[in-house]
Amino acid sequence: MIQLSNVSKIYPNGARALSDINLKIGKGEFVFLVGPSGAGKSTLIRLLYREEKPTRGQVLVNNRNLVRMREHEVPYLRRGIGVIFQDFKLLPNKTVEENTAFALEVLGMSTREVQTRSRAALELVGLGGKGKSFPHQLSGGEQQRACVARAIINSPGLLVADEPTGNLDPENAWGIMDLLYNINKRGTTVIMATHAKDIVDQMQKRVVAIEGGRLVRDEEKGAYGYEV
Amino acid sequence: MKFNSLRYILRETFHSIRRNPWLSVASVLTIMVSLVILGFSIFFMVNADNMATTFESELEIAVFTDKSVTPQQLGTLKLDIERMPQVSSVTIVSKEQALVEFGKTMKSSGNNLLDDLGGINPFPDRLTVKAADPQVVKDIAMRIQGFSGVENVVYGKDFIDKLLPFTRWLRWVGIGVIVAFAIASIVLISINIKMNIFSRRREIQIMKLVGATNGFIRWPFFIEGMFLGLVGGLLASATVGVTYDWLSGYVQNTLAFLPVVQNPMLFWQVLSGLLVSGMAIGAIGTAISLRQFLKI
Repeated sequence: MIQLSNVSKIYPNGARALSDINLKIGKGEFVFLVGPSGAGKSTLIRLLYREEKPTRGQVLVNNRNLVRMREHEVPYLRRGIGVIFQDFKLLPNKTVEENTAFALEVLGMSTREVQTRSRAALELVGLGGKGKSFPHQLSGGEQQRACVARAIINSPGLLVADEPTGNLDPENAWGIMDLLYNINKRGTTVIMATHAKDIVDQMQKRVVAIEGGRLVRDEEKGAYGYEV
Repeated sequence: MKFNSLRYILRETFHSIRRNPWLSVASVLTIMVSLVILGFSIFFMVNADNMATTFESELEIAVFTDKSVTPQQLGTLKLDIERMPQVSSVTIVSKEQALVEFGKTMKSSGNNLLDDLGGINPFPDRLTVKAADPQVVKDIAMRIQGFSGVENVVYGKDFIDKLLPFTRWLRWVGIGVIVAFAIASIVLISINIKMNIFSRRREIQIMKLVGATNGFIRWPFFIEGMFLGLVGGLLASATVGVTYDWLSGYVQNTLAFLPVVQNPMLFWQVLSGLLVSGMAIGAIGTAISLRQFLKI
């Protein structure tokens, strides 16, 4: 499903974010990406939906080469990938339902279908009654769930999350993990960058650790491995 | 494009205007003010040019003939002059006409000089020559001087020497004013559009990340820009139209010697030009400003 070969990323300002990363992730896997702040986790995540391009090496997602991909093909790649952001990235001037519907309207779906599907997605993340609220009227946990709803509404094959629980209290964090766990069980590949030791330790999933831009550990049913 | 997308785009356009009413008002006002200034400078230019043309067309050459010239020779002379290139018209003012004209001028100033002449006509026959181009008046006058039967050629030499640089200057100033204000209005409007788009860059970024194509993102902004430009252009042409109509009437009534252009066709052309440029600037400005925000 995902394959990174000899990937290095150096930002235009000279900062070296990733060095020679080789990583293979199969369909339906659940992978935690751990490591100290600034290790390169976010950069790696951003490579997957081509917000960034690697300086060297190849990135394959769904057998498509993202390095050689043309600009006009990028939107179609992204439609198959759900992205959950630490800062939610909800549009402040759209209601929760409009925010989730957004990902479908982009595809030119009929209003009726957009409505049915976005209501179903909100129901799934437990925001059934909040569709008409604006993001600022919701708690942090609810906003993050709205973000999840938007990411999964399109039934993507791949879900990437950059510290989705970073801004949440433990209870809300576990709510989000429940959602991701269930989505993964239905066949979606999930890749999640995180600092949440207790979550990683308890979930018993594959753990990939990055330090200073290098891949230093990759174990099945791993643990967080850093002191908090 | 799919029908659903079209509907989404239209809805999105007007949502955006409704949710950012002040930004929209600011855009409309910027476009309006810029176009009003542009519209006035166009009318200023048109009038400056018209004024220059009027002054220039009043230039004429007076050709005085020898006393011995017969009416027949006078006719031949007229034909000869008419045949010269760059001459637009030649009229004969006979000595009788000259006398009558002279009498009129004198009478109006209460002078009885005409009666004192006691039936003697001191005037020669005269030809009034108009040139097609004021630049060649001097040249034509000089050549006519060499014709047989011509005693003297008079043209406003000093006047021409001063007028031509002045009208040239007047036209350049007019063009300069238009160019300056056209550039200023494009800059102003594009800054405003850029601010508008900048305030929504997050929205664009999110659209890109959920897989919207550039075209899909561009359309609502594009239509919004066009719509706001249209409203701004409409207000501008109304303002310019009403003001110019009033102002030109006023000038004509109070300063009758100033030639004011009152050409309905030109008037509507300029106003619809403002309207269309409002729309075009809105749309093109949006498209250009969007480009840098779409690179995600």
